Amino acid sequence: MSDPYVAISFDDDAQEFMPGETISGQFKLESFDPGSVKAIEFSVLWYTEGKGDEDLDVHEFRRIEADDMNWSAFRRAEQFDVTLPLSPLSYEGSIMKIRWCARVRVFPKRGREIVAELPFVLGNLQPARPHAG
Amino acid sequence: MSRLFRVYQKKRGNRRTGSRALGSFGELVFFGLFLLIGCAGLVVMVTTLLIPEWRVNHEFVETTCVILAKQIGSQDGEDGTLYRPEIEIEYQIAGKQYRTRTYDITGTYSSGRADKEKILKQFDIGKRYDCWYDPRHPEVAVLVRGYSVLAWVLLAVPGTFILIGGGGFIYRLLHWGKSAERCAAGGKATDIFERRGRAPSEYPSVPVGADMTNSPGTRLKYRLPISTSATWALVGIGLFCLFWNGFVLVASYFVTGGFFGPGKIDWIPFLILIPFMLVGIVLIGAFIRQLLITTGVGQTFVEISDHPLFPGERYDLLVSQAGRLQMNSLVVILVCEESATYQQGTDTRTETSRVYEQELFRRESFEIHRGLPLEERFQMDVPAGMMHSFKSDHNEVSWKVVVKGDVDHWPDYERSYPVIVYPSSSDEVGREGSRRI
Repeated sequence: MSDPYVAISFDDDAQEFMPGETISGQFKLESFDPGSVKAIEFSVLWYTEGKGDEDLDVHEFRRIEADDMNWSAFRRAEQFDVTLPLSPLSYEGSIMKIRWCARVRVFPKRGREIVAELPFVLGNLQPARPHAG
Repeated sequence: MSRLFRVYQKKRGNRRTGSRALGSFGELVFFGLFLLIGCAGLVVMVTTLLIPEWRVNHEFVETTCVILAKQIGSQDGEDGTLYRPEIEIEYQIAGKQYRTRTYDITGTYSSGRADKEKILKQFDIGKRYDCWYDPRHPEVAVLVRGYSVLAWVLLAVPGTFILIGGGGFIYRLLHWGKSAERCAAGGKATDIFERRGRAPSEYPSVPVGADMTNSPGTRLKYRLPISTSATWALVGIGLFCLFWNGFVLVASYFVTGGFFGPGKIDWIPFLILIPFMLVGIVLIGAFIRQLLITTGVGQTFVEISDHPLFPGERYDLLVSQAGRLQMNSLVVILVCEESATYQQGTDTRTETSRVYEQELFRRESFEIHRGLPLEERFQMDVPAGMMHSFKSDHNEVSWKVVVKGDVDHWPDYERSYPVIVYPSSSDEVGREGSRRI
C-alpha cells in the first residue's frame, strides 16, 4: 500500500487568478485508512518569503474534526470554491515576496501531519528589481 | 499539481528549524519554569516579608521594654558586607519575662553600616521604649512598625517572572497542537467546515492611511503629512547628542583626574574613551546640520489631487517650498521601497530596498524669497503593474513622494510624504475592464 497523501487541484488547472475572482477545485485524501485521521484543515492563504521573518494570513479556513467526518463521502474529492480578496496581490519583490496557495493539512491520529499545498498567483504584478543608484 | 509542503526548513528569526511539536514543548517548559520561579519567589516574599509586616501593624500588641544591649549584626554578601541593627530587649507579658534580640520584623541585612549606627543611636541602654509583641508567640517582638518600601519594590522581581512566564505559557498552551493557519485564522474552528469571515477591510493588508486625507489642501484636495517633522528630528538628535556627550564628559572627567587636576591622566581608559568622543563629535555635527536645516530651510508642503492612489492613474501634485534660499536644485521623486524586518540573535534588523524611483519635477539654480514661497504644480503617473502598498508584521511595501533640496552653502535636505497605493481596480473581477489572465 502506498503512503497516504493529499491531492489538490483547481478546476481547469488554472494557476493565475484576478482579485475578486472565485477559485474552485477539489482535494482528495489518497491511501488513508478510514478512521486514521483526527482532523483536516483546508485553507487559502498568503505568506511572505525573503529577508524578513515570515508573515502569514489566512483568507479562508475550514476545519473538519474526525467526529464530523463522513468517510464514504471522503472517498470522493472534496470540492471547494473561494472568492479571492482584492489584496495582497502575489508579488515577486527584491527582498520580499508574497505567495498565495491553497493548503490542506491532515492530522493523523498517529504520526506526523501531512501537508499539501497548491500555489497560485493572485493578480498580474510585474516583478520588482532593486532601483539602480 | 500539489507538492509536499516543507514546514520545518526555515532559515532564521522566528522560523523553526526542527520539530514543531518539540519546539513548542521546549517553549512551554521554558515559560513554565519562568512562571514557577516567579510563583515561588512571590510565595517566599509574601510569607517572609509582606504577611509578617501586615501582622506587626494589625495584630501585634503594644507594650514596653527595656534595652539591655545593642550592636551591628553583619554577614557577607555578594557585593560586600551587609548589616542590620540588633537590639536586645526585655519585656514582661502576663507575668512572664521575655528577652529577645530584635529591631524590625523582617530582620533583613542591607548595605550601609552608617545607617544602622544611626538607628542604634536612637536607643539608649537601660531606658524604656515602646515595643510590639506577637500574641500568638510572645517571644517575638519588634521595636518599629510600618511597611518597608524595599519589600514592595522587590515584588517587581517575581512579578516580572510571573508576567513573562505566565504570558508565554498561556500563549503557548492556547496554540498547542494548532497549525499556523488555524492560529492565523483565530484558531477555534471545530465545527464541520466552520469558516473564518472575510477581513473587514476591502483591501486586506493595505494600510488605511486615514491621516493622509484628514488635512485639506489650499490648492489641491489633500495636503500630505510629512513622515518625520524637521523639529522632531532636531529634538531627537539633540536629546541623543546631549545624553551621549554627557556620558562622555562625565567619563572624561574621571579618567583625566578631574580635567588635568592633581591626578594624572589614566591613559588606558582614556584611549578606550577616544572612539566614544569621536562619535560624540559626529553627533554634534549631525545636530548642527539638522539645526541649520530646521531653522534655515522653510516648510515644505505637498498637496495632491486625490488619495489613495491607483496604479496606472494620473494625479496632480503641488509642492510649496518656503524660506529665503539660494537653491542649486529642487527635485521631487516618487519612490517605492520594500522593507523586511528579521530577528538575528537577539537583534531586530530591518533592511530596505528601493524598487521604484521616478523623477516628477526638477528645477535648478533659482532663488526663493522670504514670504514668497516657490509653488510648482505638476502631474504624477503612478506606474501600472507595480506593487500596491502592503504592511504585515515583518514586511512592508511603502510608497512616498520625496522632496530633495540642494541649497547653496547650506546642508542638503530630504523630506518624505508617504502615500498609499491601492491595487489596480481595473484588475478586479466584477469591475469594468476585468479580465482573467
